[in-house]
Amino acid sequence: MPVVELNISRLQKLVGKNTNKKQILDRLPFLGLDIESLGRNTVRVEYSPNRPDYSTDFGIALGLQGILGINKGMLRLNVRNQGNYEIRVDSSTSKIRPFVTGIIARNGSLDDEAVKQIINMQEDLHVGLGRKRKKLSIGIHDLDNISFPLKYTTTSRDHRFVPLNSTKESSISEILRDSEVGRDYGSILGQSPKVPLITDAKGQTISFPPIINAALTTVTTKTKNLLVEVTGIDKQSAEDMLSIVVTILQGAGFQFSQLKVSGSKNSTPNFTPRSITFDVDPVNKILGLNISGSMLVSCLKKCRLDAVMKSKKIQCTIPRYRFDIFGGMDIVEEVALGYGIENLKPAWPASAHIGEKNATSEKLDSISRLMTGFGFMEALNSTLTSEQILYEMTNRESSQIISVTSSKSQEHTILRDSILPGLLENLSKNIHETYPQKFFESGIVFSTGSPIKETASLACVTASEETHFSEMKAVLQSLLRIGFNTKCETKTLSNHALFSQGRVAEIVVSGKAVGYIGELDSKVLENFRIRTRVVGFEIKLSGLIFD
Amino acid sequence: LSHVLHDIEKQIVKALQSEPNLTEEQLVQKTKLSMDQIRRGVEWLRQKKLADVSETIKISSSLGKNGLDSLKNGLPERRLVNLVKDGPKTFDEIRSSLQGPDFNAAIGHAKKNSWINIEKTDAGSKISRNKQKDQYGLTFGGSENADEGTIKFIGEEKKDKAYLTGDMLESLPSLMERPDFIIEHEEKIKTVSLSETGKNIDLEKLDSGAIDVEADVPHVHAARIHPLKDTINEIRDTFVHLGFTEITGDLSQSSFWNFDALFTPQDHPARELQDTFYLKGLNAKQLATPTQIKNVSSAHKKGWRYYWDIQEAKKMVLRTHTTCVTIKHLADKKPDEARIFSLGRVFRNEKLSFKHLAEFNQVEGIVVGKHITLRDLMGIQKEFYRKIGLTKVKFWPTFFPYTEPSLQSMVYNEKLGKWIELFGMGIFRPEVTKPLGITKPVLAWGGGIERIAMLKFGLDDVREFYNNNLSWLRTATKCQ
Repeated sequence: MPVVELNISRLQKLVGKNTNKKQILDRLPFLGLDIESLGRNTVRVEYSPNRPDYSTDFGIALGLQGILGINKGMLRLNVRNQGNYEIRVDSSTSKIRPFVTGIIARNGSLDDEAVKQIINMQEDLHVGLGRKRKKLSIGIHDLDNISFPLKYTTTSRDHRFVPLNSTKESSISEILRDSEVGRDYGSILGQSPKVPLITDAKGQTISFPPIINAALTTVTTKTKNLLVEVTGIDKQSAEDMLSIVVTILQGAGFQFSQLKVSGSKNSTPNFTPRSITFDVDPVNKILGLNISGSMLVSCLKKCRLDAVMKSKKIQCTIPRYRFDIFGGMDIVEEVALGYGIENLKPAWPASAHIGEKNATSEKLDSISRLMTGFGFMEALNSTLTSEQILYEMTNRESSQIISVTSSKSQEHTILRDSILPGLLENLSKNIHETYPQKFFESGIVFSTGSPIKETASLACVTASEETHFSEMKAVLQSLLRIGFNTKCETKTLSNHALFSQGRVAEIVVSGKAVGYIGELDSKVLENFRIRTRVVGFEIKLSGLIFD
Repeated sequence: LSHVLHDIEKQIVKALQSEPNLTEEQLVQKTKLSMDQIRRGVEWLRQKKLADVSETIKISSSLGKNGLDSLKNGLPERRLVNLVKDGPKTFDEIRSSLQGPDFNAAIGHAKKNSWINIEKTDAGSKISRNKQKDQYGLTFGGSENADEGTIKFIGEEKKDKAYLTGDMLESLPSLMERPDFIIEHEEKIKTVSLSETGKNIDLEKLDSGAIDVEADVPHVHAARIHPLKDTINEIRDTFVHLGFTEITGDLSQSSFWNFDALFTPQDHPARELQDTFYLKGLNAKQLATPTQIKNVSSAHKKGWRYYWDIQEAKKMVLRTHTTCVTIKHLADKKPDEARIFSLGRVFRNEKLSFKHLAEFNQVEGIVVGKHITLRDLMGIQKEFYRKIGLTKVKFWPTFFPYTEPSLQSMVYNEKLGKWIELFGMGIFRPEVTKPLGITKPVLAWGGGIERIAMLKFGLDDVREFYNNNLSWLRTATKCQ
């Protein structure tokens, strides 16, 4: 989950009405913001990826004002149709990054903290909604260095301009090769010979989306007027993202003028709120409440939505930036938040249901109890393990490995097809503990099937100077007899990688081979640095005692 | 004062009352008990202040490689002087016939014994026997010197090791200086004697039936169910008590049931390789019914506006949650009323740390019902916590991709003195249930089990559960 760092006294000022620190810290969790760490005047909170408006303190202040009852209802965006700001889209962009949208923000001022918050927002939007800029990316520019109309077009990789944070001209190819952002995001553009570009009326490069802005439009704390542009591969999502930025910048004191967008299926963004109309009863029913329509309206307003009663229905108006609201159930959540989660009292539903364990779980439990009765300690190992333990150290053949892609841990790269190697690894880690040592484990093993087969197996080992084959065979036979009234035989096996020759047998139940039993081979034991005798068996339970 | 003695102790006391000082080995011979029994018995007697043990170190010697060679062929200096018995010889002549022993050492020792003279001639240095010595009838020739006697004693008479005394002990230092001649062994000898009280014990009068019930005993290790399994079993039982029925499913799942059926868009970060384990080259053969696929696909297109790719849905993953099992069950059975739960291993592509595992256990409960409410779900959860001993519970809003509203529960941990985030809960989104033909509200709750087990067993490193470290397994308190 993304994290944002907040300056508490600044947040107090943004919320207003002499809100104190305690009120703020108490309420943050009830907006769904988990406090991750707390400093003297700072707090770091985790916010949900579906609420990118909480990526800045401006957005969080809006939420707090609502839930504290300081400012309720919907924030109205003030976008005027003044000035002549326009961007025209060339059809050549349609194959690479077809959509652009944007807004003009004027007469604001950004101090250091505000710049920090907006950069954090931009980063989080790129990672989340923007899917690491692949789907969407934002550029924020100093408006005063730009001449309109703008053009969203494409250019060749030889095109040169001065990129942000640089003083010298570079070509697109050089930027993609030499800069960090170029290397991180260049792959989004694939091998396309043409790349997207925003230029102004004088032909100056403004931005090379989704990689980098031009140095020409660098935003500083002296900047008063902004151009915000969003480019991407989905038009509605681009406007979603833009609506977040507009809402935040309004919180920072900016006024807005429309940026007209035209050409190649593009159009001027629309910030009109939506309406949902619904009945009071179903909301009460799912929450387990019985609150009046007017109370419900008040709950929604605390969540910065607008709502009115119309005959017996409620009409809720949702601002453009709350695109996380899909339908009725999302409204139910807003009501619950406005009502206050702490005011929802847990209830106990009467039920005639009779609980039951799964039959396989029950049988595995019985096996565990029997095995501990025989004196074996239960071990638990990962089913996702390593080639080293499973094959290299046990000298087993590794013909049908099932592996996972890009594991972050070397110990977890392939699925086990056998439990015994893990138990040998356990013995190996315990060589300094007193003997005898006895372990068992039951669990899932994997084999290739259609496409993959999962079966339950049981394995156990005894390590001590005095242990021998018949001791283990006695355990095996007793387990099957006492546990499942099943008889087994052990048939001589000429060889098996894990066991010593002449001391290994196949376990046979009703004429079917179901596992192996034997004394572990000395070379295998040496690989695991075990310096005592070990006997063990492994038996398939699926198909034997359950399906 | 009466003593309760074990039979072993009695036999040791009896032996020592007839002979006051005995080594452990001697006690073994006299009592016919094993060395292990003697050692235990002596230790018990010592703790009861009935016996004293004194330790002495005894040094024994045996022959090394060169010592054994000398035993067979004579000391190097003896072999040298035998070569010049019949007249002087040059260095080269001696070196070639001496074979084996170190020439310089042989000359050194022979000179020290004054057995030889070295004369410088025009034809080079020559060695001849010291006739003067011979004339006085000392050591040269037949009789052996002290070093030779010692080697013979150790090697021939005592085979393995010898305890040296008198003259031989005096000659030892010079032999010790010569490499690989003599190997010394140190041995601790424990001599046992009775204390004054011990000497006065009348063995005849001791109550023969009584045993020492106060004596210390060794630890015995119980074989046991794994502590994490104890917690898993407790949670499974608690769900059953609350009226839930267990369902199970495979650990390997198609992306369809793990993600798509739960309205997780195909470009969602959680589906990336760095978060989810994909099974290399494996695709599901049978995904779902054609209707299920069609409806899920259109829910994605409508809700997330992108091209939904069935190939992406076929990719096999290790399940990232047990929700894939519950949603498939609901989609197939479409119950009007149900309380079910699913418990088992789930996987995340995480770097291992004290709080993260790549494979861990999760449980998830589902309540389906026409009249079920969010408050009911909170109540069920509160009751669940009460049953596993967690009584202070509160709820906060949170976000899960497939539930709405979503809450998380916080429980107060007395040991740590703070609130801890445990299970999450919520109502399945209509975007999840509708496409699969599920018409009644579905309330879900669950979370990781290791977290609860860590609280119970007071662990601060989750990896301990999978280390199978016997020192912990043998001592962790079972009833928490």
